[in-house]
Amino acid sequence: MYGTKSKIDLAFEYQSQIPVLRPSIHSRRANLTVKFQDLYGFTVEGNVDDVNVLNDVREKVRQQGRVWWALEASKGANWYLHTTIGQGSALTSSLKFSALANAITLKKLIKKGIPPVLRPKVWFSLSGAAKKKSTVPDSYYDDLTKAVEGKVTPATRQIDHDLPRTFPGHPWLDTPEGHAALRRVLVAYSFRDSDVGYCQGLNYVAALLLLVMKTEEDAFWMLAVLLENVLVSDCYTNNLSGCHVEQRVFKDLLAKKCPRIATHLEALEFDVSLVTTEWFLCLFSKSLPSETTLRVWDVIFFEGAKVIFNVALAIFKMKEDQLLLTHHVGEVINVLQMTTHHLFDPDDLLTVAFDQIGSMTTNTISKQRKKQEPEVMKELDQRIRKLNSLKADNK
Amino acid sequence: MGTGKTSLVLRFVKGQFSEYQESTIGAAFFTQVLSLNEATVKFDIWDTAGQERYHSLAPMYYRGAAAAIVVYDITSMDSFVRAKKWVREVQRQANPNLIMFLVANKADLEDQRKVGNEEGEECAKENGMSFFETSAKTAQNVNELFYEIAKRLAKANPSRQTGIKLHGRTQETRRRLFCCV
Ligand SMILES: Nc1nc2c(ncn2[C@@H]2O[C@H](COP(=O)(O)OP(=O)(O)O)[C@@H](O)[C@H]2O)c(=O)[nH]1
Ligand SMILES: [Mg+2]
Repeated sequence: MYGTKSKIDLAFEYQSQIPVLRPSIHSRRANLTVKFQDLYGFTVEGNVDDVNVLNDVREKVRQQGRVWWALEASKGANWYLHTTIGQGSALTSSLKFSALANAITLKKLIKKGIPPVLRPKVWFSLSGAAKKKSTVPDSYYDDLTKAVEGKVTPATRQIDHDLPRTFPGHPWLDTPEGHAALRRVLVAYSFRDSDVGYCQGLNYVAALLLLVMKTEEDAFWMLAVLLENVLVSDCYTNNLSGCHVEQRVFKDLLAKKCPRIATHLEALEFDVSLVTTEWFLCLFSKSLPSETTLRVWDVIFFEGAKVIFNVALAIFKMKEDQLLLTHHVGEVINVLQMTTHHLFDPDDLLTVAFDQIGSMTTNTISKQRKKQEPEVMKELDQRIRKLNSLKADNK
Repeated sequence: MGTGKTSLVLRFVKGQFSEYQESTIGAAFFTQVLSLNEATVKFDIWDTAGQERYHSLAPMYYRGAAAAIVVYDITSMDSFVRAKKWVREVQRQANPNLIMFLVANKADLEDQRKVGNEEGEECAKENGMSFFETSAKTAQNVNELFYEIAKRLAKANPSRQTGIKLHGRTQETRRRLFCCV
């Protein structure tokens, strides 16, 4: 049942228990900063309120686990793997109906969070990683890792440089074993797609994937499906053009969904990309607490990259009042950083992201992207041409 | 790779140095205040990511900057070459009144030096920049660098700067500072 540990437990995972602090000492200690480890072994600094929120979150995670187990009991194990709508015209209409009903249940369920023990299995199948893996020989990952062992490229050099700088201090990631695992995943991927090679930011994404998936191979496939199918293309290649596109789409959405904030920030000459670029490239892993990040990823892997917009908009929306009171860039950044660092309860964020922001279809977002692409290309091109013309001058 | 931009900024802002600095994605933002006799300078510092492909994001950070620090690592000729490229880009594309500094970092690693002091000097002179050799590790010349920036900023046309009045009594001028390479 829920709570039984999966086979390959990372050593740190269940060792930390947060002390439960009683409300009576609450007020006096509320300003004290305490350091503790969260569910995934990250050291978190917060006050007593934060500790209590994290304890509540743990309890909610447990309850959510019970819901999932109950569903497995009634619908059969792996019921969620057979929910894809529109496939299999051979299905009888009653089966189709139950698949559809399951799909709706699943969508709601995933927004409430996948229990950490089930995450590897659910992510792997729902994201399409399992399918991707099934198209190549079983030994693909091992072969790839062996084939590239000892090779030195600009990508491997940058990876080696970044390993100790990826979540330094983490009880597993920041050990020789953790570094080696992360290295193999990133290096293998850099050879799989030489256009991407290695881009800073992927180190954080892959590190978190390792923590969740527990095996390098599964983490590798999750990274592959993420870059090749889930996210907009060219997010991490060459001049990050995909990321530039996303940033422009985001700005338009902010102006539409949070017009007061957009106007205020514009008056301060604050370009929102100054903070949101990192959110998009690291998928919030450097900004949000780990369980909150993974709850966002739960939905990304099921519904797609459009979810990043919902979440990013929600962060602004949640702090509308405070943001409207800011006078300069530093204050804006402060508000946003304080907010993201303290979002210990994922539901606080996701409720706003999905209930208040309103749904945006992948279709709408795709249209927006198409619209921005030529602009981005033009801008990037102009920069390069200017740089080149300047070289000519110097001769 | 890793010329020590973040380390320099942290040395200046927090007085600390750590071997393993989280790698910067996009850019990190810091603030620091320096009081000179003649003025108080408030720095808004953008510390940018070093990987080549991140350069396409740079305009967003140097737009509106009052000063820029281009950093290279004295133990890496490659970083010096890249620094020169940056100097050209920033000179051409950023605000023409931008004050630029060329910084040769990791001066504590004298025995591994690949870029001579004169080479740095000369490059700076050619481009009308001030030149400093620093070590974020030993703190050598770090405060001197930022004091010089503050002085130059305070001197350069104070009226032209975008001043923002804060709620307190003092009127401060905020300056955006941009660190690259
Ligand atoms: N010896 C020495 N090492 C330094 C110095 N400054 C930075 N480093 C090291 O160089 C590496 C890269 O530094 P970092 O500040 O992250 O560079 P960035 O990528 O330019 O921001 C880190 O391992 C630092 O500890 C210095 O002045 N001396
Ligand atoms: Mg850095």
